Amino acid sequence: MQRANLYHDKRAQWAVYLVFFGILAIIPLWMGDPFTMNQYARYGVFGMLALSVSLVWGYGGILSLGQGIAFGMAAYGMGATMQMQYQDPVNDPIPSFMLTNELEALPTVWEPFWNTSVGIILAVSIPVLFFIIFGILMFQARIAGAFVAIMTLAMLGAWYSMAYDMQPFTAGFNGISPPSAFVAFGVEVDPYSNMIYWVSLGVLAVLTLGAKALLQTKFGTIVQAIRDDPERARFLGYNVAYYQIVLFALSGLIAAFAGLVWVMITQFVSPTSLDIFFSITFVIWAAVGGRMSLFGAIFGAMFINAAQSYVGDEFQATWLIILGAVFIVVVRFAPKGLAGLFEYALGFVPYRVRETPQSRTDVPSPSE
Amino acid sequence: MTVILELKNVTKAYDAYKVVDEFNFQVKQGELRCLLGPNGAGKTTTIDLITGRQKSTSGNIIFNGRDITGQREDKIARQGVGRKFQVPAVFRELTVRENLQVAFSRNTDPFANMFRMGRKGGLERLRQVIEIVGLQERLGEVGGNLSHGETQWLEIGMVLTQNPKLLLMDEPTAGMTEQETQKTSEIFNRLKGEHTLVVVEHDMAFVREIADIITLMHLGKTLAEGPMGVVEKDPKVREVYLGSEGITDAA
Repeated sequence: MQRANLYHDKRAQWAVYLVFFGILAIIPLWMGDPFTMNQYARYGVFGMLALSVSLVWGYGGILSLGQGIAFGMAAYGMGATMQMQYQDPVNDPIPSFMLTNELEALPTVWEPFWNTSVGIILAVSIPVLFFIIFGILMFQARIAGAFVAIMTLAMLGAWYSMAYDMQPFTAGFNGISPPSAFVAFGVEVDPYSNMIYWVSLGVLAVLTLGAKALLQTKFGTIVQAIRDDPERARFLGYNVAYYQIVLFALSGLIAAFAGLVWVMITQFVSPTSLDIFFSITFVIWAAVGGRMSLFGAIFGAMFINAAQSYVGDEFQATWLIILGAVFIVVVRFAPKGLAGLFEYALGFVPYRVRETPQSRTDVPSPSE
Repeated sequence: MTVILELKNVTKAYDAYKVVDEFNFQVKQGELRCLLGPNGAGKTTTIDLITGRQKSTSGNIIFNGRDITGQREDKIARQGVGRKFQVPAVFRELTVRENLQVAFSRNTDPFANMFRMGRKGGLERLRQVIEIVGLQERLGEVGGNLSHGETQWLEIGMVLTQNPKLLLMDEPTAGMTEQETQKTSEIFNRLKGEHTLVVVEHDMAFVREIADIITLMHLGKTLAEGPMGVVEKDPKVREVYLGSEGITDAA
């Protein structure tokens, strides 16, 4: 009878995930309003971003404020892909913003985006590659804690400036607005439709269940061990930096998918996707929902954004102050966020650890 | 018996100050060696040098026939050197069972471990270790909720799970009650012979319980080495421990 809390029952956890995504999946059946679906698809992206923070910070102990880097890079990749879907190789090969910036030919870096599959692959793999390189630089040098936060933030700032300044390639502050919706396999993903919602939810569900499964492997346990005490893990023979780099890259992969879906929803990408404050809010969502629970973090992201939408106009001006206050209260009084409160509440629910043949026999009882 | 660990003229210097000074040290397979000495003698630094936490200024460290001087910590650990820290280090958010699962580190590749469920690996080892260190009742408890003594045992258990050829124990009884110390010395006496151990310790009663041979360090060098009875009668040792009381009372 140890740590007997339904909260820790793995079967119950999987059941909650499946029910959660099941309910979300049928929402369009009674709320088919296109604008609502577009709005809810955005919440799906916020869920992915909180998921990526939960994985890297909650489970890996790496406080990255730079998840926006992967998000923004992928968003630009997707923006370029969708823009080139609109362009015509013969009659109209150069996006109009490039013409106004006096480019006479399509830049070489834009060429691969003529092909949608190549464009998508680049949009996801380049951010991941960048996270691997950046991770090697940080974690091989055993940088940790606040220094990781500062470095990731500074790197995000650098990418923001770059997107802003390279106007002929990125359309600068104005950003890229692909005129038509994304087309995959001949099917148009209308940003105001049930389909966009299901795409967003589907990507979120696959990423979440994948991350959940990953965390239940030995890799997941080791990653959490490294979070608790990297030195101890190192002396057990684990290459701590290697694990951190892999986890950081995986979190970048999730954030990259978020960027990809985001541009499908908004048909727009600008330096705001690399905005520093935006990236920090991911951390707040995860902290409020519960960074040490994937589900908690996703729920936090959706809850906070839904709250912001529905509190009414009089609160919009002071929303940041409210959010800041909530963050402080959570950090001070409920460090495990809403998920932690839920865990505490479930502690009062009677629950017995299931006696499986394995749990009975794998360890000799004291009387033996 | 073969020599498993050998330090040859190992020096660790901070500027002019030598914490470990041309230190020579040999441990044979299956031996339980105690490393003693007053504060600042260089005991923990020696452990740090062997395990790669600090790099030596000069000299060689040979483990199991291979020169491991200056290698990275995890590489040394994978060759079979386990270490228990002075301040007990366990994974505080993980359960005792998970702590021991992580310690079963036969395969340390992250990608290989993505396809491995923690539960099955090392079940037999887990059973053996739990039988040695106890904690049967605490398997589901998180590391952070253990008492100080339990935390020490868990860390000893983790190092055992790793199944190293050489175990380095830095003050395993620090902060333990008398009963806890008693249980720990029972654990160590069981490990003797099967494992090679180097134990840094201050508690003389404990050392008397477990040690075959002790090495007494002073100012980074060996002051005396031999069975307890011989070392404590050594006049040089008496001098270091302030006059005539000897090491027994000084501790």
